[in-house]
Amino acid sequence: MTDVEFARKHGDQELQIKVPALSGSFTYDDTAYHLPISFALTGIAVHDKPGAQEVYAKTGNNPIVASECLLAAQTASAGKEPEPFTGFISDTVIRKLGYSLVDGSILGLALILGKPANADSAAAICRELQEKYMLTFLAGDVIPVLLNSGVKLGLDYRLIPLGSKSVYGIHFVDIIARVAMMFGGVTPGDMHRLLHYAAERAKAIVIVFPGLSDEEIAFVDGMRVLGFPILTPGGYEGGTWITAGAEDIVRRGMEEKGIRVNVTAIPIPMGCSPAFEGKSIRKEEMYVEFGGGRSTAFELLRMRDASEITDGEVTVIGMEVDTMVQGSANPLGIIIDVAGKTMKKDYEPVLERRIHNFVNYGEGSWHVAQRDLIWVRLSKEAVAKGVKIEHIGKLLASKFRMDFPQLLEAVSVTLITDPQKILEAKKEAERVYEERDARIKGMKDNEVNTYYSCTLCQTFAPNHVCVITPERMGLCGALSWLDGRIAFEISPSGANQPVEKGAVLNLQNGEYEGVNRFVKKASHGEIERISLYSVMEYPMTCCGCFEAIALMLPEVNGIMVVNREFTGITPSGMTFSTLAGTIGGGAQTPGFAGIAKNFVLSDRFLQGEGGIERLVWMPSQLKEELKSRLEKILSDKGKAGFFEKIADENTATTIEDLTVFLERVEHPALAMKPLM
Amino acid sequence: MTHDLSFGWTGTIGEVTLGATRDDGGTRSTSYRIGGGTTLPFLKNAPASPTPLIAFEICDNPDFWSPIIRNYCGDLVNSTTDWAKAATSDYQADLVKLHLTSTKVRNFSDIASVQKTVEAVLSATSLPLIIEGSNEPKIDSEVFLKCGEAGEGERLLLGTAEAGRYRSIAAAALAYNHSIIAQSPIDINLAKQLNILLREIGVQRDHIVIDPYTGSLGYGFEYSYSAMERIRFSALKGDTDLAMPMICSAADTLTIKEVREADPASIDDVAVAWEFYTGVAAAVAGAEIICVRHPKTIGLLREAFAGMKTSSTAAEVP
Repeated sequence: MTDVEFARKHGDQELQIKVPALSGSFTYDDTAYHLPISFALTGIAVHDKPGAQEVYAKTGNNPIVASECLLAAQTASAGKEPEPFTGFISDTVIRKLGYSLVDGSILGLALILGKPANADSAAAICRELQEKYMLTFLAGDVIPVLLNSGVKLGLDYRLIPLGSKSVYGIHFVDIIARVAMMFGGVTPGDMHRLLHYAAERAKAIVIVFPGLSDEEIAFVDGMRVLGFPILTPGGYEGGTWITAGAEDIVRRGMEEKGIRVNVTAIPIPMGCSPAFEGKSIRKEEMYVEFGGGRSTAFELLRMRDASEITDGEVTVIGMEVDTMVQGSANPLGIIIDVAGKTMKKDYEPVLERRIHNFVNYGEGSWHVAQRDLIWVRLSKEAVAKGVKIEHIGKLLASKFRMDFPQLLEAVSVTLITDPQKILEAKKEAERVYEERDARIKGMKDNEVNTYYSCTLCQTFAPNHVCVITPERMGLCGALSWLDGRIAFEISPSGANQPVEKGAVLNLQNGEYEGVNRFVKKASHGEIERISLYSVMEYPMTCCGCFEAIALMLPEVNGIMVVNREFTGITPSGMTFSTLAGTIGGGAQTPGFAGIAKNFVLSDRFLQGEGGIERLVWMPSQLKEELKSRLEKILSDKGKAGFFEKIADENTATTIEDLTVFLERVEHPALAMKPLM
Repeated sequence: MTHDLSFGWTGTIGEVTLGATRDDGGTRSTSYRIGGGTTLPFLKNAPASPTPLIAFEICDNPDFWSPIIRNYCGDLVNSTTDWAKAATSDYQADLVKLHLTSTKVRNFSDIASVQKTVEAVLSATSLPLIIEGSNEPKIDSEVFLKCGEAGEGERLLLGTAEAGRYRSIAAAALAYNHSIIAQSPIDINLAKQLNILLREIGVQRDHIVIDPYTGSLGYGFEYSYSAMERIRFSALKGDTDLAMPMICSAADTLTIKEVREADPASIDDVAVAWEFYTGVAAAVAGAEIICVRHPKTIGLLREAFAGMKTSSTAAEVP
């Protein structure tokens, strides 16, 4: 057993004697960085004894500097070691190594020194380092030990034999010094930045087997300043080296240094990037489709215990795409199981919504809508390139891991195309959807002090700000207050920010001081005031995504609602799309408001205008969609029968017809306080 | 009616150097320094803004190119070097942008050819070169390494870095001193985030050109325009993470139905019109480089820029 602290002291003394005894001139070819460590630390180009002594003194008799100078002098006098040893590595090679490090194809660097007692465990350590994308440098007796047990060495194998003695490990440090200067913007002589770079950016670990000389121990221990964990499977005591078993040493070292194995590329035969997100797949370009009313389809993201999930696993239950008839509609159930220490059940719907983006990232895959309304297509081009349903799973599994590295530790995907099995799975999904809806249902606006903003649409409507409350979801119908809160938790600097309600300015219209302050800032000063519950006075701005539009009809003293799906003319004399063009783009247009369809069911709907009694017209299809829920709400409020008084395109297409209809049914709006 | 054109802006768009002449260790006949603006372009009585540069796009596998251009350019498209020469002497582009479409072929593995192509194009044209590398994450690492190496010293502009896919290209920029195109999907926030990611990996601001992604006219260009405007406003208001020059490529315009299915007799005119109007609008929004694929668009754009009365051209590095 070697005592590290004692050996270090003794080694330092030895080096202090050897440095003044240097002679001759010593330089390396193929580098612009002289003796790189000395150069990086002090900016001094060392090539003889005086230079070496100056740098040694300037760095407080640093053993690494001493070892660098001594090895350079020895190489100069005795020449380079023969193959397979590489000795000093040229700048050209370092540039490529640095490239791989920045690029992520190498995750980090490892240095192995000394003489392993057991060849197999040394080989296993090397194999593990190779598998974990580490580039490993070797110096000393470990090299013959590995060669004798048949391990292949060389750059291609990511195992680089530096030299016959452990002291050649100094080249490991000169490589890092050069990478810092080439890639890290470290100027020679800026010791502070170099050390910072080494500690924060250089992902390096050192593994030491027994058999090092005291001088070698001194330089290895000196590497602690650079922030590299020094690990040993045994043979050393004292000091701060970490002792770890051979089977655990790589994992431990990588963990100490925070080197994570990340997914970098998705192994699927199609491009995957947000650049493809907006591309739709038209009918004639489509190979197969799923859902969209043509077949059963749904998506569900569930939290599971880590022990129940194999990360990255993709299972397809049922037919693959190659056995499907071209042009056909097939069932598809997408079930994503996720696990993670910080994952919460509340996050499920927010993460689930990302399926939409991720599938659209695929160059030949397309996705719309959500839950059991999804509609997915694969393009002919993609299928011709070999894309299968399985690859959609791989894409999802990888993207979730890549985009939520802090949140998710394991993601597995199950894709069901079997027409029988999907029915069962869909029942489970429907149960979950109901549970989720129930969670938000009972919440009231006056029970919370914080609302959430949504500025996602500022991409194209630069001054638009949605304010989402428990009783008024985002006008796109896609984001509830709970979703906003969770989105904020997951990404605190994202598009959903908390909005403190602040003092009440107008209770009926839902105008609050804090909300106004937030909106003014978030709209870049364009919008000064908004009321949450009024169409007439300072309504919320409209981006362009609203599910429906509520607008005033002064002739009948009421408000009508038209949803996006309705293509006909409305009593306002305009179609949905004409209206949308008039009010969108982030503007505030009194008398018009963009809303989610479900907002009609909220107690806050038209509160500023006196309540739901103002509602005079809705397309029949929207009426049908809301009917059962709205009728119940109305009868609970003692307004049973009101539903029948709401006109639609069958009873009135013009304002004149509408007036006649409303008078005939004695619609309450006619007798209310004038809107204008 | 006159408008007050002093907006009280404090920011300046950073400058990026494209191409290196012999004096700077390269072999280009000229180099450009783009950026440096302090207000919007083409404003009357405002500080002069440099005329946008026009890049002509070529590729090394014309199977992936619009048939309109293949027909118009004829045999040229089968020789990357001849095409690059034509771009320089006949079409009079300011820059050549080489798309390595050969890497789009499935299971592409001939990485050595990338180096040869880049070297050949560098000797065929003396204009500063933009290179669009691999389209396949799997081969990014090797392709960008080769591009970087082959163009060492030439101050290339390499494309395209995206949020999930920027490391290889950043590595090539860092290792061989090139600049890079940072593309985000029409979103100012993502544009900024990508620039921050690039900065964290070590790429200096003066090596980044923003590509806000150019949608086709009639197919979402207005979103691009708005994103560009906001990027530029933020930069001028002092956000240094967005204060980089912008590049726009009208490539999408050649694939939209109106152009693709135009009457064969007038298809070139339609393609040129679409590229032209996209290019002019992008320039008005502040783009410093406009990329086109139809040779005839170049002259028209240049004429239009001249007509829009800017008082100086892009500063040539002496």
